[in-house]
Amino acid sequence: MLDAATSALAAFLDPAMLLFLMAGILAGLVVGIIPGLGGTGAVAILLPFVFVLEPEQALALIIGAVAVVHTSDTISSVLIGIPGSASATVLMLDGHEMAKQGQAARALAIAFLSSMAGGLLGAIGLTLSIPIARPLVLLFGSPELFMLTVLGISLTALLSSGNMLKGLLAGAFGLLLGQVGAAPAAAEYRYTFGSLYLTEGLDLVAVALGIFGIAEVVSLVARKTSVASGSGIGTGWGDGVRDFFTHWRHVLRGALVGIWAGVLPGLGATAGTWMAYGQARATARGKDRKKFGKGDPRGIVAPESANNSVEAGDLIPTLLFGIPGGAPAALLLGALLVFGIEPGPRIITEDLDIVYTIVWSFAIASVVGAGLCFLLSVPLAKLSYVRFPVLAAGLIVIMFTAGYQESQQISVLQVMLLLGAVGWLMKISHIPRAPFLIGFVLSIPLERYYYLTANLYTFGEWAVRPGVLVMAGVLVLPVALNLVKRLRARTDADVPEPSDDDQDLLEAEPPRSWPLALTAVFLVLFVAAFVVAQGYSTNARLVPSLVTACGALLASAVLVLGVRDLRRGERWQTDDEQKAWRVELRWVLLAFAWLAGFVVGVFIVGALIAAALYVPLFLWRVAQLRWPAIAIYTVAVLAVLLLLQEFAGIVLPLGYLTPRGLM
Amino acid sequence: MRSLFTHRVRVALVASVTAVGLAACSNPQGVGGDDGKAKEDAKVPPRVELVIPFAEGGGTDTWARFLAPYLEKYVEGSPTFSPKNVLGGESITGSNQFVTSGGTDGAQVLVTSGTTYFQALLGRPEVEFDFAKMKPLMLNGTGGVIYASKSSGIKTVEDLQDPPKPLVYGGISATGLDLSLLQAFDVLGVDIDATFGFEGRGPARLALERGEINIDYQTTSAYLTQVEPMVEAGTAVPLMSFGVIEDGEIVRDPNVPDLPTVEEVHEQLNGSPPEGEAYDAYRAFLVPGFVYQKGLWANEGTPDSVVQAYRDAVAAISDDPEFKKSSAEVLGGYPLYSGEKAQDDLIEAFEIKPEVRQYTLDLLKTKYETTIEGS
Repeated sequence: MLDAATSALAAFLDPAMLLFLMAGILAGLVVGIIPGLGGTGAVAILLPFVFVLEPEQALALIIGAVAVVHTSDTISSVLIGIPGSASATVLMLDGHEMAKQGQAARALAIAFLSSMAGGLLGAIGLTLSIPIARPLVLLFGSPELFMLTVLGISLTALLSSGNMLKGLLAGAFGLLLGQVGAAPAAAEYRYTFGSLYLTEGLDLVAVALGIFGIAEVVSLVARKTSVASGSGIGTGWGDGVRDFFTHWRHVLRGALVGIWAGVLPGLGATAGTWMAYGQARATARGKDRKKFGKGDPRGIVAPESANNSVEAGDLIPTLLFGIPGGAPAALLLGALLVFGIEPGPRIITEDLDIVYTIVWSFAIASVVGAGLCFLLSVPLAKLSYVRFPVLAAGLIVIMFTAGYQESQQISVLQVMLLLGAVGWLMKISHIPRAPFLIGFVLSIPLERYYYLTANLYTFGEWAVRPGVLVMAGVLVLPVALNLVKRLRARTDADVPEPSDDDQDLLEAEPPRSWPLALTAVFLVLFVAAFVVAQGYSTNARLVPSLVTACGALLASAVLVLGVRDLRRGERWQTDDEQKAWRVELRWVLLAFAWLAGFVVGVFIVGALIAAALYVPLFLWRVAQLRWPAIAIYTVAVLAVLLLLQEFAGIVLPLGYLTPRGLM
Repeated sequence: MRSLFTHRVRVALVASVTAVGLAACSNPQGVGGDDGKAKEDAKVPPRVELVIPFAEGGGTDTWARFLAPYLEKYVEGSPTFSPKNVLGGESITGSNQFVTSGGTDGAQVLVTSGTTYFQALLGRPEVEFDFAKMKPLMLNGTGGVIYASKSSGIKTVEDLQDPPKPLVYGGISATGLDLSLLQAFDVLGVDIDATFGFEGRGPARLALERGEINIDYQTTSAYLTQVEPMVEAGTAVPLMSFGVIEDGEIVRDPNVPDLPTVEEVHEQLNGSPPEGEAYDAYRAFLVPGFVYQKGLWANEGTPDSVVQAYRDAVAAISDDPEFKKSSAEVLGGYPLYSGEKAQDDLIEAFEIKPEVRQYTLDLLKTKYETTIEGS
């Protein structure tokens, strides 16, 4: 074993090998930085090379990219509040909050160090677990996976502590949106309304970019200020390093959660990252927990450590069982096959050197990637001090283009716009969006493993399995404690405290009727979806019926409580507040119109020409830049698009009137 | 409201509502450019797009990307091939897009898999392509092996007739490739209890190892690498293979020569080779589903000169020493057929008899509670 490990390491003395590893790292970093492009984007860049390289070189290339994508995707989440990839949405809570307080450098330092540690721990975990992973994975049957998804969904309650009902409502909405597309246990499509595009389900990147990214853009464009207040990138680097070492326990725990989430098939990086955040928050005590969501370093350490180790954990089923957990792992599997290396139980005896090449590549890439991110982020951190409308021109183009990549159906642009509106409404209504995302990613796994469990076991069989009992305990205890606490709190004070997330004070509060109206819309949506669900076959009906029934109940409860508060003579807005709200609303509507304008442009002339017209117009009218700057900016955006199209396999949507000869 | 919305904002609002409301049933394709039609004796264009209706890194995608460099080498005119993945709708989205806007000049060719064929065979209403009319360029088969776990109590195929325990199968979707296994057991007259919802054949195999299910099938290459170690350890019992086609006859799979075909097992259990509706239905899906599973297709109306360029390349590719070496692993050692050779089998398969389709739909409905909308 040691022999294979050292000889695999020695291979990295070969400059060609290091060169390909570096190329992979650079590709991964660039793709990570661009909002909305993650592992799948990195795969697209590397695919053309993989099939023409030597096996070790191709592996170094792929692993180099996979190991660092989740290091650099932090940057845009923290600095500008636009998720760099779906799993980086978790950084919107504490990471972005810290940046808003002018401590971007501190947040990034914590994030990069945690990413590096997560990657290294992941590589160690991969090495250690190879001999024992097989029995461990086999121990985890459908009932355990089912309980794990339930545990994950219970995080929605945790992440909305203080405003449980609204959090659960958001979670139910996420679960419902996750149901769109093919049903796992029946050959049937749900909520597709005859659209072939929807049969694949809404894709995660578009949903995350819509609910978080677009909602953020519209409220910031209006303000015409920068994301962070103050000037300079802050001197937090040292603080960040200290935070990292102070919370080393969370680094370890995050990495363990990440590896485990990667090892188990069917959960995915986003769910794993959120679970790591959830466990850090759940185990914090009392007042300490209140700091989460307001720029707590632990809220960065745990998920960042996890999202890199997820990728390492993901390699275990890929190598040992030939089951890839995501697009990068699938590419790796394809490459291995082409080189005549068969992933499976025999890989440990026959191709151990390959396994160690992968482990070393992962470890080296984690360290180099984090180092490069430190260098890169010094100039990039200045972004959070640029006036937002200036950033927005490019961001709007990049976000919609990135959201288009997964499905490559132009309808996704409309969906993103719609979800952006929903995200903004949720934000002003203080309905937390984190539970929504968790519900969305776990919706289908929950249903899948429920059916597998129910069909393959009797209740008496699965309910008493030790793993299930342990997880049930983990699930029930805090809920019971929380209930007791809440009941007590209720007698003390009637007004529930605002939720922890999304509770950043809004510039202007909406009239009280707005949140009520949104809740009413949710209620109507749930009832309608419930009615539609009754038309599905038995195996496709159960979960949507339950989700919509719960959602309708939750929405009703929120509505009743809201009306009660209103009746109780909660004070109405003062004239000043009303005026502030109107100004805010006008700006947000205008920002939405600008976004819609770009989407219309794409429909008519395609993304490239639309960008060429839109960016200067936006910079002139909204950002009020001078012409030389506008010209340079526009050329830069177009160059980025063309470069991505040429080298990263990015597809730019065509419009109805795109002249094809020009493209 | 007047103070709230200026004229400009109102115009903008109308625009945004319009934007969200814009109907887009399929992607706009732009205007101008060439219309994708070709003259009679046209050559293969210098740049060809491989339209892959499956995800990057999947089996079909790997197949196409593996093949691409050999196509560049041996297809007349040495065109360059660039893969383009169009996902969705169990590969219907990409295939529909190909037949409606892929043109007939050979600038795009479609990559298909068994799943694509099954959607057409089952008569899904969304399907706009007709493989009986399209032109197969080259095809490549795969095989499958059915096996049981030790805990099923099954030791030989004879035990299937009266299984000691109920046979539990784990599948992905009754309308995907799992259908061939369901039909095989229908032919044999053996009842199985099928649970659908697994993410792939890999997770289903894990479920068998955990004892959640006790009967499974894997493609031959997965069988050789993942299941054979289990057979050696005594935890799995191989039962039969789907076989390969030779001059219209299903014969033993040369990759697993010791395993009988489904036909042989039927004979062993019942004393006669299988026939009748159940077997016709099995054959109708097996041939496109496994024997010619992966394929490269051109649209109806593509000039013969273009089609022939691909078909002629098959022999040269098969003889390439590099290809011979690596294709054993990637393609599982199954031969690459030219579309010419497979055309008759395929036309027969895709001109599926209404009663055979109906029999299959009934099987799905009565035994597996699966109905296909609009069919």
